[in-house]
Amino acid sequence: MDKNMLGDLDNLPEEDKMRMSTMIDQLQIRDSLRMYNSLVERCFTDCVDSFKRKTLDKQEETCIRRCAEKFLKHSMRVGMRFAELNQGAPTPD
Amino acid sequence: MDRIPSSPSDPSEDSLPVADKTSSVDLRKEQNLVTIEKEVEFRVDLYNRVVKTCFDKCIEKRYKESELYIGENSCVDRCVSKYSQVNNIIGQILASQRESM
Repeated sequence: MDKNMLGDLDNLPEEDKMRMSTMIDQLQIRDSLRMYNSLVERCFTDCVDSFKRKTLDKQEETCIRRCAEKFLKHSMRVGMRFAELNQGAPTPD
Repeated sequence: MDRIPSSPSDPSEDSLPVADKTSSVDLRKEQNLVTIEKEVEFRVDLYNRVVKTCFDKCIEKRYKESELYIGENSCVDRCVSKYSQVNNIIGQILASQRESM
């Protein structure tokens, strides 16, 4: 998620811009941490089903890596489209 | 608020807004507190998710008794261990992503 998604900040007075910018930074940090935890939970739930051992096997590890990378790419794509919508740009069919 | 202009060498001037009297040390302390707060929030969230996830993975939903079975005990131990490994792997992936940005 980046600030472009949130629409036009430029019309605010200078002092409000500063406060908004700080607030947005803090929200982004919190959102990043939350996303991290959600991602771990999601990939663990989807990839790990057996508990005969206490360490991940090769298959599980591969699954986790693919899951994480896929999710991040997906997240970026959503962010892209979201920003397009916010800016009123035409979107593909 | 009307400010009577004061010379920069007189920081104790009463007409200055309170914020100007905050030293940079105090600001850094406050930022540290915010960072620690975020860290604690993060760990609490992580803990709650591990509890939830490993319960779903390991505990039989029929609840024939209130004690955990031996099998469930081992499962939970291993579940926490594996979850922790997943946490580390994804931490590495996210860190390397951030570097490449």
